[in-house]
Amino acid sequence: MRHYEVVFMVHPDQSEQVPGMIERYSNVITKDGGTVHRLEDWGRRQLAYHINKIHKAHYVLMNVEASNEAMEELTTTFRYNDAVIRNMVIRRDEPVLEESLIMKAEREDKERKARYQERQDDDARRAAAETAEASDSGSGSEEAAEADNEAATEE
Amino acid sequence: MSRFFRRRKFCRFTAEGVTEIDYKDLDTLKQYVSETGKIVPSRISGVSAPYQRKLAIAIKRARNLALLSYTAGYVPQN
Repeated sequence: MRHYEVVFMVHPDQSEQVPGMIERYSNVITKDGGTVHRLEDWGRRQLAYHINKIHKAHYVLMNVEASNEAMEELTTTFRYNDAVIRNMVIRRDEPVLEESLIMKAEREDKERKARYQERQDDDARRAAAETAEASDSGSGSEEAAEADNEAATEE
Repeated sequence: MSRFFRRRKFCRFTAEGVTEIDYKDLDTLKQYVSETGKIVPSRISGVSAPYQRKLAIAIKRARNLALLSYTAGYVPQN
């Protein structure tokens, strides 16, 4: 039994098959007494360069402890599966359990976007409240404020 | 005679005692790739030889998985 890190890229048109593929490959590994330590679905990612006129691919990362035969089987299935456009198997010394840096970066990116969206919403709400206030408390400068508001909304 | 004071280069990996350079750590790898996508030589980046070897392997793995490009600024003709 050895530790391996497997990454494979699936054609984006076959993205729906990925959960099934993961299950099948996990079965190949576990039926020989191996274990899957880490399983990450990176989803569809933009490729750094085009492969066979494909611009995106569905990435899956697996850190496994498996027998030689199981790995042999896995690599041959990769080779004969046309949906797998590329794969990489590297040997590791110990199981890796923590979240990979790509997943981490992606998650942080998502969180940042969510925060940004929240802030935008907050700003919009505050601006709306302010304009409402401004139009409420009006005397001489009312017309000017309204004109400003109108201009802003038109934009 | 260099008239300007040049800051001494140092190897970030040695300083931090990194055990392994991960091919998935794109932010780190991108620091050691030139604008054109080439691996920056250690004589310029100051990376120590053992880490430069690991770094080269990591960059090549990332390239193979299309996480990094072999050539930046490449415009595909469609």
